[in-house]
Amino acid sequence: MDRQALTRRSLVGVGLGGAAMAAAPGVLAQANPPPADPARPGTLTTAPVSQAGLGPRLTLHAIDNFHGTPGAGMVCDLSIREGDTYRPIKTVTTAANGRTPEPLLSEDALRVGHYELLLHFEEYFARTGASLPSPNFLGLVPVRFVIRDASQRYHLPVLFTPWGYSYYRGS
Amino acid sequence: MAGITTHVLDADRGRPAPGVRIDFSVMEDGAWRHVKSVVTNADGRTDAPILPGTEARIGQYQLEFHIDAYLKAKPGVTEADIFVDNPVVRFSVSDVKQHYHVPMLCTPGNCTTYRGS
Repeated sequence: MDRQALTRRSLVGVGLGGAAMAAAPGVLAQANPPPADPARPGTLTTAPVSQAGLGPRLTLHAIDNFHGTPGAGMVCDLSIREGDTYRPIKTVTTAANGRTPEPLLSEDALRVGHYELLLHFEEYFARTGASLPSPNFLGLVPVRFVIRDASQRYHLPVLFTPWGYSYYRGS
Repeated sequence: MAGITTHVLDADRGRPAPGVRIDFSVMEDGAWRHVKSVVTNADGRTDAPILPGTEARIGQYQLEFHIDAYLKAKPGVTEADIFVDNPVVRFSVSDVKQHYHVPMLCTPGNCTTYRGS
C-alpha cells in the first residue's frame, strides 16, 4: 500500500468523523479478510474456465481486486438500449466463483445492440465490511458495451475495487 | 484543489487522447441533468476543470466519454473492433474539500477508470 493511498484513507476518516477514526490507519490500509461464507468473496477453489468452442453467448466474470477474490454476490441489472433509454432484460447475482450460473444471454437471446450492466458496488462492499465513505465513490456502476455480431461469444470480465474498475472483452 | 477533473488516455498507444467529447451531468431530483460538454485538449485533459472547487457540492456526478468517434478516427481501428464505445462513469462526491480526479483509460476492447490524483 503506497503512501498516497494511506493519505487518502486518512482524509476519508477525517471526513467521516468518529466511526472511521476509530480504526487505525494501518487497519484501513488493507481490506479486511472477507468472511469464509461461500456466498461471499473468499472462495478460491475453482480453476479458470475455458469457453473455447462454445456457441454464441454473453458471460460475466466479476473479480474483486480489493480482496483478491471472485466477486461473489454482486447484483447486476442487464439492459439493452432502445432509443434513448435502456430496457431492463434481467437481474442476476454472481455465484461464489464470480460468474453467473447461466450465461447472461445465449443463442437466440444474444442480439446485436448496445448493452448496459449495472453493478451494485456499494451494496457489495457494504456486505464485506469494507470501511468506506457514505455514499461511496462508486455506488451503482454502469458497464456499457457493444455486441456487433450475434454469432460470436462475448466474455465480459469486470475487475473492481471500491475506487475503480476495468472491463474488457475477454475470451 | 477541490472539484472534479479528468484525463483521457489512449492505452493502446500510450498517449493522451485529444478531441474526445465528454458530457458532464449531475443527479438532481432523481434524474441526470446535463451540465456541460467539453472536449479534451492535446494533453487529453480539459482546459478548465470539469467542476471548479468553488462549485463542488456533495452529490452524484456522471461523465460520458465519447470514445467511439475518437477510436473510429484512428488508423487501423475498424468499427468491428470497438467493444467499449461510450463508457459512462458515475461517482459520488462525499467531501467537497477533497479533489476528485477521474481518469479514463481506453482501448477498443477495454476501459479503466479509478479515483486518481
